Amino acid sequence: MVRTKEEQKKVFQELLIPELPALFRTALRMTRNREDAEDLVQEAVTKAFAAFDRFEEGTNFRAWIFKILTNTFINNYYRLRDRQKVPSLEEMEEETSFQPSFEGITPEEVLLNTLTREDILRAIESLPLEFRTVVVLVLIEGFSYKETAEILDIPIGTVMSRLHRGRRMLQKLLWEYSMQKTPFEKENEKGWTAKTL
Amino acid sequence: MDCKDLVEKLYFYLDGEVLTEEERKAIEAHLELCRKCCEKYEFERFLWEMVRSNGRNDSIPEALISRIESVIAQF
Ligand SMILES: [Zn+2]
Repeated sequence: MVRTKEEQKKVFQELLIPELPALFRTALRMTRNREDAEDLVQEAVTKAFAAFDRFEEGTNFRAWIFKILTNTFINNYYRLRDRQKVPSLEEMEEETSFQPSFEGITPEEVLLNTLTREDILRAIESLPLEFRTVVVLVLIEGFSYKETAEILDIPIGTVMSRLHRGRRMLQKLLWEYSMQKTPFEKENEKGWTAKTL
Repeated sequence: MDCKDLVEKLYFYLDGEVLTEEERKAIEAHLELCRKCCEKYEFERFLWEMVRSNGRNDSIPEALISRIESVIAQF
C-alpha cells in the first residue's frame, strides 16, 4: 500500500506511542541512567522510522522496535568499561534459596518486609548485560523465549540458559539484600540459612 | 511426573511457555499432591511477580513523550 509521508507518520505514531513506556523503562535498565535512556529511546525511534517502510504490517511491531532499541544500545551506548564480570559456573552452583525454618513466617513475607523497589531495580541493574537483557525482555516485558531470541539474534537455547542463570543471580542478590536488612538478623545462625538447592 | 521433572518444567510453566496439554496437566496434578513442590512453585511465582511488577513501575517523563512527538513531526 502506497502512503503519503504524513499517513506513514500517523501509522507509525499510533503503533509507537503505546510502547513508549516499555521502551523507556527497558532503556533505563540497560543504560542505568535517565539521560542516556531518553537519548537512547529517541535514537531508536528515529532509526525505526527510517526503517519503517521495511516493517511488514500486521507483524510484531513490539518485538521489531525492541530489536532496534537493543541494537542501538549495544552499538552506541554500551562501552567495554561497562562490562561486568560474569560469575563462573562454580559460583553459580552456590545457589542460595530462601529457606525459612521459623514457624509461621514464609519466605514471601520476608521478601515483602525487607525489599524495596529500589533493591529490586538495583539487583536487576547489577546483572551483566547479556543476562540483564534476557531477564528484562522475558520476565518484565513478557516476551516469549522465541521473540526474545529474535530480538537479540541469539538461539532460543541461549535465551533459556541466560534466563536460567539470570534468575539464579537475581535470586541470590535479592536474598543477600534481604539478609542484610532482615529484622531476624540475630537469629540468622540458627533460624535462617542460605541453603543450596 | 516426579519432583525432578517438575523442577525442570516449572519455569516454562511460570513463563507461560508452550507446554503440551498433557505436560501442563501433569504439572498441575503434581502441584496438588506434593507440598514441597507446591511451596517452591508459590514462592517462585511470588518472587518473579514481585520482580515483574516493580520492574514495570517507572513512569515515562511527559517531556520525553513530547520530545518524541516533535521528532516524529519533523521526519
Ligand atoms: Zn514434588
